[in-house]
Amino acid sequence: MTLKTLDKETRCAIKNAIFVVLIVFGNTVGNLMLAISMNQTPSISSVTVPNYFGAMLTNPFFLAGTFLSALSLLAQLTMYTWADLSYVLPVTASGYVVTAILSKFFLQEHVSMFRWIGVVIISFGVFFVAETPPDTKHVDATHPDAQQVEGVSQ
Amino acid sequence: MRWVWVLAVVLTSTAGDVFSAKGMSERGEIEDFRPRGLARVVHYIVTHPMVLAGIICNAISFGAFLALLSVAQLSFAVPATASSYILKTLLAEFYLRERVDRRRWIGVALVSAGIILISI
Repeated sequence: MTLKTLDKETRCAIKNAIFVVLIVFGNTVGNLMLAISMNQTPSISSVTVPNYFGAMLTNPFFLAGTFLSALSLLAQLTMYTWADLSYVLPVTASGYVVTAILSKFFLQEHVSMFRWIGVVIISFGVFFVAETPPDTKHVDATHPDAQQVEGVSQ
Repeated sequence: MRWVWVLAVVLTSTAGDVFSAKGMSERGEIEDFRPRGLARVVHYIVTHPMVLAGIICNAISFGAFLALLSVAQLSFAVPATASSYILKTLLAEFYLRERVDRRRWIGVALVSAGIILISI
């Protein structure tokens, strides 16, 4: 089954979900890996500059973290071609929720009550924005790749 | 001094996201995710002046955030810069001409409030 066999609305919803997951996963897991790699790299004041960059560029966590961060940025830029900035930004704020859960269950860090309340409030905010149609502005219909936006409500 | 860095982070990250979104939304919806299609997307990104300006602004913003962290704690830096969500949403409505309805504003307000709570 390809995406093309589904109706437009379902296709949009699946595409949105995939890209939100890519952006959030790339950003949170990427940051986690960069943080781990920085703990493994010697402090910049203790070694020569070439050794410092050498240690960094051969660290697998640094390379994976950089790759995931780049993937996240590319996915975010791609999503702007069909979704509003005012949709993408709050919805990808669910990354804060993922980070709290990763810290608690993966890094065994203590997450305070305040933090969990913050996580719940952010989740509500994400649900509110996710309820709105992703694209509320018409794209330039003269562009060869342009798609006429249908079903704009609100 | 720390408020100067907060202002620098907020302004550069706002400019970065607004320019990126503006430049990318001028292209039609991307639907071809085969290697050749993705190569075209990357080519569009690295040759579009507004998208490039956006990426550079975000890079500067990252540097300014690191500078802010050298004079302030993370628990100050994160909520202080979360105000950029409000500014970005205002610009999305009035500059990018997106229709920011009440649900989106409530969502942005809740997200900002939540970010302040998780970082204090």
